Amino acid sequence: MSVTDSMSAVRPDLIEKVTGRAEYVTDLVIPGMLHGFVVRSPATHARISSIDASVARSVPGVVDVLIGADVVSFGCWGVVLKDRPIMAIDRVRYVGEPVAVVIAETIEIAEVAAELVDIAYDELPHATTIREAMMADAPLIHEHHENLEDFYFKGGARPTPSSNIFHTYRNDVGDVDAAEAVAAYVHEDHFTFPAISHFAMEPHAVIADFQGDSLTVWAGAQTPTAVQKVLSRLFGLALAKVRVIVPFVGGGFGGKASVKIEPLVAAASWKVRRPVRVAQSMAESMLTCRRLGADITIRTAVDANGRILAKSARLLLDGGAYSDTGSAVATKSANRIMGPYVVPNMRLEACAVYTNTIPGAAFRSIGGPQAVWAKESHMDNVAAAIGMDPTEFRMLNLASRGERIRPDLRALDMDMSELIGRVTRSFAPDAQPSNRKAHGLALAATDPANTPISNAIVRLKIDGSILVSVSSIEVGQGAHATMAQIAAQTLKQKVSAVTVLRSDTAVAPYDWGTGASRSTVVVGLSVESAALDAADQILDMVAEVWELPRDGLSLVEGGVSTGPDVLTFHQIFHRSLGVDSGEVVGRGAITPRSKKGSLAESPLFWETSAALAEIVVDEETGEIRVPRYASAADVGRVINRVAAEGQDEGAAVMGLGHALHEALEFEDGQPVNATPIDYSIPRITDVPPSFDTILVENGDGPGPGGAKGMGEGAILPVAPAIANALFAAYGIRITDLPMTPEKVWRALQKRN
Amino acid sequence: MLPSPFQFERPSTIADAVRAVGESGDGMFYAGGTELLLALKMRVIRADRLIDIKGIPGLDCIAVNGMNEIEIGARCTHRKISGDPVIREHVPALASLCAEVANIRVRNVGTIGGNLCFGEPHADPPTMLAALNARLVLVGSRGTREVHADDFIRSEMETVREPDELLRVIVFPRPAGPVTYRRFKHGERPSVNVAMTWSLNADGNTIRSARVRVGALGLRPQPLPVVEGALRNVAVAEARQAIETALPAALDQLEVNADRHGGADYKRHLAGVLLLRSADEAVTAGGSWLK
Ligand SMILES: Cc1cc2nc3c(=O)[nH]c(=O)nc-3n(C[C@H](O)[C@H](O)[C@H](O)COP(=O)(O)OP(=O)(O)OC[C@H]3O[C@@H](n4cnc5c(N)ncnc54)[C@H](O)[C@@H]3O)c2cc1C
Repeated sequence: MSVTDSMSAVRPDLIEKVTGRAEYVTDLVIPGMLHGFVVRSPATHARISSIDASVARSVPGVVDVLIGADVVSFGCWGVVLKDRPIMAIDRVRYVGEPVAVVIAETIEIAEVAAELVDIAYDELPHATTIREAMMADAPLIHEHHENLEDFYFKGGARPTPSSNIFHTYRNDVGDVDAAEAVAAYVHEDHFTFPAISHFAMEPHAVIADFQGDSLTVWAGAQTPTAVQKVLSRLFGLALAKVRVIVPFVGGGFGGKASVKIEPLVAAASWKVRRPVRVAQSMAESMLTCRRLGADITIRTAVDANGRILAKSARLLLDGGAYSDTGSAVATKSANRIMGPYVVPNMRLEACAVYTNTIPGAAFRSIGGPQAVWAKESHMDNVAAAIGMDPTEFRMLNLASRGERIRPDLRALDMDMSELIGRVTRSFAPDAQPSNRKAHGLALAATDPANTPISNAIVRLKIDGSILVSVSSIEVGQGAHATMAQIAAQTLKQKVSAVTVLRSDTAVAPYDWGTGASRSTVVVGLSVESAALDAADQILDMVAEVWELPRDGLSLVEGGVSTGPDVLTFHQIFHRSLGVDSGEVVGRGAITPRSKKGSLAESPLFWETSAALAEIVVDEETGEIRVPRYASAADVGRVINRVAAEGQDEGAAVMGLGHALHEALEFEDGQPVNATPIDYSIPRITDVPPSFDTILVENGDGPGPGGAKGMGEGAILPVAPAIANALFAAYGIRITDLPMTPEKVWRALQKRN
Repeated sequence: MLPSPFQFERPSTIADAVRAVGESGDGMFYAGGTELLLALKMRVIRADRLIDIKGIPGLDCIAVNGMNEIEIGARCTHRKISGDPVIREHVPALASLCAEVANIRVRNVGTIGGNLCFGEPHADPPTMLAALNARLVLVGSRGTREVHADDFIRSEMETVREPDELLRVIVFPRPAGPVTYRRFKHGERPSVNVAMTWSLNADGNTIRSARVRVGALGLRPQPLPVVEGALRNVAVAEARQAIETALPAALDQLEVNADRHGGADYKRHLAGVLLLRSADEAVTAGGSWLK
């Protein structure tokens, strides 16, 4: 095999990407397309007292300027709470909020004219942190909350009226107070977690084309059907008249999930009745959405033997100026602060709070890194407080396979002690911690919200080639290659025979979206069932036309085996249809009722990660290096090894960024480092030189071939594993991220 | 984001470039554009005309001149300096500084002149060039003048250069002893950096004089006169001890901003750490200097 062939065998998109032929939204040109440039709020919270766009409108080449007054009649949108206008109307709630869109023949003209839009603001009192937003006299960021029950996720939000709390989730198990009363030891910690930028290499870019009662949108959207639905409701268009096309996406990480700038660009096109393109810069995308910061109090009660009796956690999440999916992030953070331990009594509470900052959004394992940072750091603190080795403390309290960590959640489908064993053995034989090197362990078991709703179409053509249509987007994770592999394996054809169509709601059947580690399992199952449907049809055709018993027939490469003979697809279609053409269309659907209802219970599978980090600290500067790292996940079955390992490693390195580098900082609501130059992410030189990715395969997942989902687990344990290593070696406990050299140095100074 | 419209010229002589910048409106020299274009795109700088100096021959030479001085043309890229045989032989610390500045894209087109003229306090070369006692040769409409590297940067993003003065070349004496450079960074740019040069006596065992500069802490690289004094006529083998003794007083004299790179006490401490590590390196290098 040539290099290109072997690359294509792994991932058909790789050659297109490395040769620059792959199309992203920004590469597309739609005839008649205009360019929009967004004028953004410089104010943290203010009333818009006037907008004068007349000078901007008079610039040659400017077609129009869209302002809030134009879109008032469309009302608000949202995916859980309907709290968001298409653009600021009379009030801005964060720095960066769109206030006007200048639409011009060229982007240069639009950008020059944007400076001529004259906007006056009257400052309002603001609340830019969780603490400020929760104060009794805090300014209200939203006065009304319209709840959209079951719109995007199952359920809705539970806002507290006349406050900035837009969602509260509680889950109580047993009696925490009684357990604490008899406990030998109770330990409480407090942790914080900053806002973090998604930092996808491709910023948000959208083209919208409004024509009469139909709308076509090209967007790097992770959930095209959610975009379709929101646009349909906002503009009063039939779902079938809203078409969302998603070419290759250059990274999303949740920052392109639900709905982002699509309504704004659609409104711009509606205004000028021509296609409009808005291609944000990276700095603008950093003002568009970010991970929710958190403020977490966690308390554990143990008995005299070190067994956990009770755990309580209160998580406050900074949801920014609009709720987006912040309520779900909060709920998940409460679920993700538990496991994988046996905790008989639990009191969990999570609140999502509005602040006058960039809106919060889904981000790789929603609520997970925040929760796991707190819970796994806390585990080592508790172990230290009772004089127990932290690994031993964890082993003692681990929930085993088949056990439920909370009554309303699926029983654990994995064995965490196996993962701990694997990472520990990875560090053996030569890696005893020394006075220069320290080790830290952290674990995570999370409940992905992988909504079991998906459809797929698999078409088998007369020449044996196969077309797969799914709504899953190709965002670099290799979903399309995986779908091709599943279709090929099910139909017993070569993977090179399969083409997966670009995501397009006009072609692909409904699917919930790409996120929550769900595509391989949920969409994969629907592809598998569509392929089986196609197989059934072709086998039925042979049985009928050749008058052969159906059970003697089987698919083989290029056709159907009848036992003694192989009939090619050509022969089959030709004789069955009478002409030398045709195809069978296989349809696959996954619903909560599929597989005898076994997919309905939440979570569909547990996403797991165990990690061991080795660190070396420069005690004089406080700088932490991670020379060695082992990451283990139970993925059920690996379908595409290169892609799976890439997901695990990518997630861990992203976690390394959270641990040591990243924080989107604000001063009075003004972002201070929201540009790619001031915001620092890890570089390849920061990646642990020794990095062991361990994928455990027991073939016991709900997906095709026993696969489970993956790709979000490995981000979780990185920060606490490093913090625990620091704690083990120096007795210092960092409670807020990132662990910058200065923070570590100060902690070392304080200890001395 | 895009810059507002500007005119573009590419003169082929220094005189034409200087004239072009001096004409009415805001003209600016344009070398690699790595700072300039970013600033124009973010619209924090405005220019009506960009005068590209890449068409002027001779601005990217590196040589030892007749006075035993090293000359580096202002338009030399970081990449060129890092690989240049003269620099690698005589000032390897500068070669490695340039090999590690910024990132590979910036190094390939960004120039040392552009770096100096931008006046960004969190920069590497200005500290090193001040320690090397470099002079910067500026050519403007009113003739040519030389400015010491120590005097060039006036404040944050502000130098003594007149808008129509072109930085032509950077000149410094060929080092007569070890040269070290260290920086600490956790992010895109250095938080603190320290450059130190020693001139050794003919015996090779004692320091005749030392220059020490600490960069990125204040508005411009700062000298550490207390340390320089403590090193005068000290045996190479005792240099570390001498620095250690002088250090507390020396660090106290530094002007240190608290900024996103860290608190003042932390960065002052880091300057000391870097200086002591430099001392160890210089002692090792000093031992082999004359051999
Ligand atoms: C992402 C990034 C990271 C960086 N990291 C670092 C770092 O870690 N350390 C560091 O030291 N630097 C760093 N830099 C700065 C980098 O060194 C400079 O961008 C580069 O050297 C500037 O050179 P240039 O030729 O591109 O200058 P230009 O952008 O072309 O010009 C910069 C300024 O100098 C003026 N100018 C240029 N040449 C002359 C001349 N010959 N005479 C008069 N005026 C002139 C221009 O008019 C302009 O005002 C970084 C830059 C970037 C973009």
